[in-house]
Amino acid sequence: MKAKLYVLSMTVLLVGLLSLGSLAAAQDEPVRVAVVLPSSTIDLAWSQAMYDALVAVQSELGGESAMEIAVSENTWDVTAAADALRGYAEDGYHIVIAHGTQYGSSLFELAAEFPETTFAWGTASDAGVDRGLTNVHAYDVRAQQGGYINGCMAGLLTETNTIGVVGPVPAGDAILYNNGFLQGVHACNPDAEVLVAYTGSFGDTALAAETAQTQIAAGADVLTGSAQQVPGAIDAIQAAGGYWFSTDVDQAPNWPDTVVASMAYDFTGVIKDIISKRANGELGGTAYELRLENGGISMVYNTDIEGVPEEVFAAGRAAEAEVRSGVVYPIAMLPDEPFRIAVVMPSSITDLAWSQSMYDALIEFQQQLGGQSAVEIAYTEGMFDVTAAAETLRGYAEDGYDLVLAHGTQYGTSLFELAADYPDTAFAWGTATDTGLDQGLTNIFAYEARAEEGGYVAGVMAGLLTESGVVGIVGPVPAGDALLYINGFQQGVAASNPDAEILLAYTGSFGDTALAAETAQTQIAAGADVLTGSAQQVVGAIDAIQAAGGYWFGTQSDQSVNWPGTVVASQVFNWTPVVGRMVENVLSGQLGGEAYELSLSNGGLEIVYGEVDLPQAVLDAANEAIAAVQSGEVVVARELPENEE
Amino acid sequence: MRKSPFANARFSTADLFVILVPLAAVLLALAVGAVMLLALGTDPLEAYGSMLEGAFGSDAAIFRSLTRATPLLLVAIGICIAFRGGVINIGAEGQLFVGAVSATAFSLWAGESLPGPLLILLTLVVGFIGGAVWGAVPGILKARFDVNEILTTVMMNQIATQLLFYLLSGPMIDPEQIRQGTRIPQSAQLPDASWLPRLAPPSQLHAGLFIGIAAAIVVFVLLWRTTLGYRIRAVGLSRDAARYAGISVARYLTVAMVLSGGLAGLAGSVEVTGVTHRMVEGFAVGYGFSGIVVALFGRLHPIGAIPSAFFFGAMLVGAERMQRTVQVPSATVTVLQGLIVIFVVSSELLVRRWMARRQARAAAAPAVLPGVPTPASQEVRA
Amino acid sequence: MTGSNMTLDQILIEAFALMFLYATPFLFAALGEVFVQRSGVLNLGVEGMMLMGAFSAIYTVSEKGLGQEPLVGLLVAIITGGLLGLAMAVVSVTFKAEQGISGIGFTLFGLGLSSLLFKTLAGGVMTAQGRGFGALSIPVLSDIPIIGDIFFNQNVLVYVAFALVPISVWLLNKTSWGLKIRAVGQNPAAADAMGVNVNRVRYSTVILGGILAGVAGASLSIAVTPIFQENMTAGRGFIAVALVYFGGWSPWRVMAGALLFSIANNLQIWAQILNLRIGGTAIPPNLLIMAPYILTIAVLVFARQRKRLEPAALTKPFERGEN
Repeated sequence: MKAKLYVLSMTVLLVGLLSLGSLAAAQDEPVRVAVVLPSSTIDLAWSQAMYDALVAVQSELGGESAMEIAVSENTWDVTAAADALRGYAEDGYHIVIAHGTQYGSSLFELAAEFPETTFAWGTASDAGVDRGLTNVHAYDVRAQQGGYINGCMAGLLTETNTIGVVGPVPAGDAILYNNGFLQGVHACNPDAEVLVAYTGSFGDTALAAETAQTQIAAGADVLTGSAQQVPGAIDAIQAAGGYWFSTDVDQAPNWPDTVVASMAYDFTGVIKDIISKRANGELGGTAYELRLENGGISMVYNTDIEGVPEEVFAAGRAAEAEVRSGVVYPIAMLPDEPFRIAVVMPSSITDLAWSQSMYDALIEFQQQLGGQSAVEIAYTEGMFDVTAAAETLRGYAEDGYDLVLAHGTQYGTSLFELAADYPDTAFAWGTATDTGLDQGLTNIFAYEARAEEGGYVAGVMAGLLTESGVVGIVGPVPAGDALLYINGFQQGVAASNPDAEILLAYTGSFGDTALAAETAQTQIAAGADVLTGSAQQVVGAIDAIQAAGGYWFGTQSDQSVNWPGTVVASQVFNWTPVVGRMVENVLSGQLGGEAYELSLSNGGLEIVYGEVDLPQAVLDAANEAIAAVQSGEVVVARELPENEE
Repeated sequence: MRKSPFANARFSTADLFVILVPLAAVLLALAVGAVMLLALGTDPLEAYGSMLEGAFGSDAAIFRSLTRATPLLLVAIGICIAFRGGVINIGAEGQLFVGAVSATAFSLWAGESLPGPLLILLTLVVGFIGGAVWGAVPGILKARFDVNEILTTVMMNQIATQLLFYLLSGPMIDPEQIRQGTRIPQSAQLPDASWLPRLAPPSQLHAGLFIGIAAAIVVFVLLWRTTLGYRIRAVGLSRDAARYAGISVARYLTVAMVLSGGLAGLAGSVEVTGVTHRMVEGFAVGYGFSGIVVALFGRLHPIGAIPSAFFFGAMLVGAERMQRTVQVPSATVTVLQGLIVIFVVSSELLVRRWMARRQARAAAAPAVLPGVPTPASQEVRA
Repeated sequence: MTGSNMTLDQILIEAFALMFLYATPFLFAALGEVFVQRSGVLNLGVEGMMLMGAFSAIYTVSEKGLGQEPLVGLLVAIITGGLLGLAMAVVSVTFKAEQGISGIGFTLFGLGLSSLLFKTLAGGVMTAQGRGFGALSIPVLSDIPIIGDIFFNQNVLVYVAFALVPISVWLLNKTSWGLKIRAVGQNPAAADAMGVNVNRVRYSTVILGGILAGVAGASLSIAVTPIFQENMTAGRGFIAVALVYFGGWSPWRVMAGALLFSIANNLQIWAQILNLRIGGTAIPPNLLIMAPYILTIAVLVFARQRKRLEPAALTKPFERGEN
């Protein structure tokens, strides 16, 4: 045994030394990188972002001896670009970057011809894998994320409620940024008006200035825009004493009194990854997406600027956190005509539970896109009867709604028939995971919540909060997301307080508040001082525990609004990003076939606290629990074995 | 004895002068450019060496130069017709775009239903028509309403650019782009059957080169061997004289613009079916203006446009190679282009004087009074 | 009242004020070209000369550059444009080069050199914020409601440009120099026979054209906007040349053309920002951007052109022999 161990460890050591050695040897020859840019390296925009990143990586790796950079800029003509790319490949450059969407058509031919060269292409998401190519990377930028954050800040900063956007052409990452920006403004300041105009060119600074001045004349005091033409517009708004939000690069150093924040592209991560992949023999095949979450996009706040209230930056950071965590999902394209959504729900939109969670999300989404002129919402509530619901769903499909939501597990059977009858309508269904793909249906989305995750966190807190050591659960029926929640809750209590006693009872209904109250009072009489439960019936239970001076943990919606001193925390279902993703798919022609879930990791589930003063230990435990679930360290079971305890 | 159709062509041995002088001008321009390169800290010999290598240094390089020359040749041939017809067509840029877009639209629409050769032929014809229509507008406006063609063609260039953007990001966008959600403004890829055959893979050299050369010959015959061509040139030389001779000035001005636009449209179609295989942003940038330079370097003669286009294409390809090798800013290439154009065009005087002296010695030439401007002295060249 | 709440007259007041400002670069360049073309020469190099003028002006004025007063910047632009005009004259008049093509050569040269100098000397964004020509309110007159805002509260160079219009008319029609210019443009042979030095006259107009093109560029980089960016003229030089034809070689009508084009362009921006819809459907921005160009052509088609000012020696610039 000992000998084996010895050999093993020696082998490992040897391998380690060898790989270290080969890595060192591999680094002796400089990696040669060439890039073809559509505009100038000092354009303060798209091309500069890539060029600066290359220079930064070069200096990080140790200078020219480690990494060689060759640049061809202002190569707007695709044929000239193709020649340049080919020229670099022929000259033996290891990595050839085609930094412009229009270069794509020549790229794939070239890649096939030079299989030893790594090609990279952006903005693009096609790495040529289905063409059998293994030496092409693609990179794309979720510019709408930064746009949203800038938009939110702009919306809060403007005093005239008028904001201007100076666009180059309505295409590429400029339009992604603008769309995100619009959503950000709508979300943070629905009253603000956004004036959008395109100059039709990328470099005409005077036209950008004119456009900016026109917007200023129309009352705008905050502007944004993209492409190398923006200096004209920035100067115009500076002269008018207004503010600017930037994209592509951090433009504050040039206009420190005017630029409030910039969404900067950071290509260094992608570049380094491409280089290291190549060192490991992987020449291509990755489709990178630059986003906030992976550092490809970073927000740079110019906090030294005068005249901008701290709340604006705070809102910006909060928006950044929300976008980063997935709580907010800015969509990539905006509909040209009002997007019509219809939803059928089993209970009331004010049920503080299942139905309200979706209704609230739809309203929030509507606001994000700009209000009723952008998104039309029709709803029918209280459809507990399946047949009536089916009729209603059919009616909405007939009326030509773009997206029809069947917000109840029980609607499933009718939905599958309906979807077949209306192949041009997009349907969505929850709680569910079955999109009907195996039945040949391509127009159904499915969604569900990992309610057990929030249940676990609530359970952890409940276990620490209870002074009597008795915790009560008022369930509706042992099914659906209620069951998931309850199972998670029980695991959480067991984790933080294994000695605590759990009293579990089901009322057998969703809406019987009196029965819920009675169940709660029974549990209180049995010593419970912390309760939880699910479905719209819970209002009865919450009243009861409030009267008894105990605590409540809620799910589905933020229940602290009505009982702030009693509801410690609620697991809020945040359907808005799911709605956003579905709408985005519909706008790009995909009417179904995707299943979405809300979880603590994707921003779909949020723990929202009430106004209860909690001991720090409880809050810490909650945060630890959340982190553990997000990282996968703790896996909350969706089902509990029959024999508990 | 029947005169050979090329009897009046100017490429006899005595006309070596015609080629040497511009060449000397190019060298002079490059010498000035060398000063600039030195100021940038670059070795001009290394730079120009790589330029030559990039343009002529290998088979691949020559193919690249030829590929770049092809659309320039077609545009230049069209410019020959226009300028000789007395219309200053600065709108080749827009006519090229419209031709390319028309060809793309047709090819995508008819792609499945037509056999290969017929599809290619019709696609190119549609492209020609597209450019012709775009050229007809300024032509008709000039002929009927006497609206100056420099004005209309400059405006129509801008209109075409915006139209292209609109089409490529809207009605003609590649459905793949919508599906992938990337929305790059480009058309779908043209069906394989409509691609012009590649002559020397893996280079991008394509059959469009032959189309260009054929067009040069056709237009040469058209301009000097047909009545139509004669009338176009007559109108170009002197409107009053033409009118007096009973030639409808309006009609032939328009015809000149239509043909010129059509050839520019053909240039665009050939580029899209031969090289890019789809309409994208950054398509054929600046070819409209380069085509004018090529035409004038070729002395406004379609056959002369052939070597002129090759030289110009080689210059572009070589200069880009130079930029890559010595890593000077791309603006350097533009400056060199400008210098070459200025120097060559300045050297024209020497060539013209030489030619005039040659013609005067050959007797039966109209007397030229020194110091008196004679608008017709250039007619002698044809 | 802001944004879509603005009334039509509010919008028009703002639009007209901006119109004068943005017509200025066109006006300078086009007026220069009027002189050039009236003498029988076609200068298509205006674009390149504008860019060189723009760069030289901003480099002189900007803190990153020489940090001088705007007037010094203007002077430098004048010298730069003048030198380029001189070069153009040498090439087009003495070397009798094909004028359209030599113009393209100068455009390429000016575009390339301005970008190159910008790259090497500035290395990044260069602004003249606060250091360029500013707005000048004419006392008393600028207080008049509506009219005051539109006419009398403009940038200094705007006044200069519009003052140049009657000055140009006077120069062309009331001075002997102007007489020579017109003669040389109509019938160089006859003028030559009368003892006019055709070449010298053309030199003077082409140099003037270069100077005004340089000033046009300077107006872009240190007056209308205090910024330089590579290729910032974006085709304005060619549009200025087109405007000369639009205006039938008459300075007043050229001014009208510049104003028409500018107001159309500004109004299309308003149309975009106010989300103008036709029958409920949004107009694609690209179509709106096209509108000023279509309008310019349309106006010319429907307005009867008087051709008496057309320089006869200009109509066939490529057929000319000894000039």
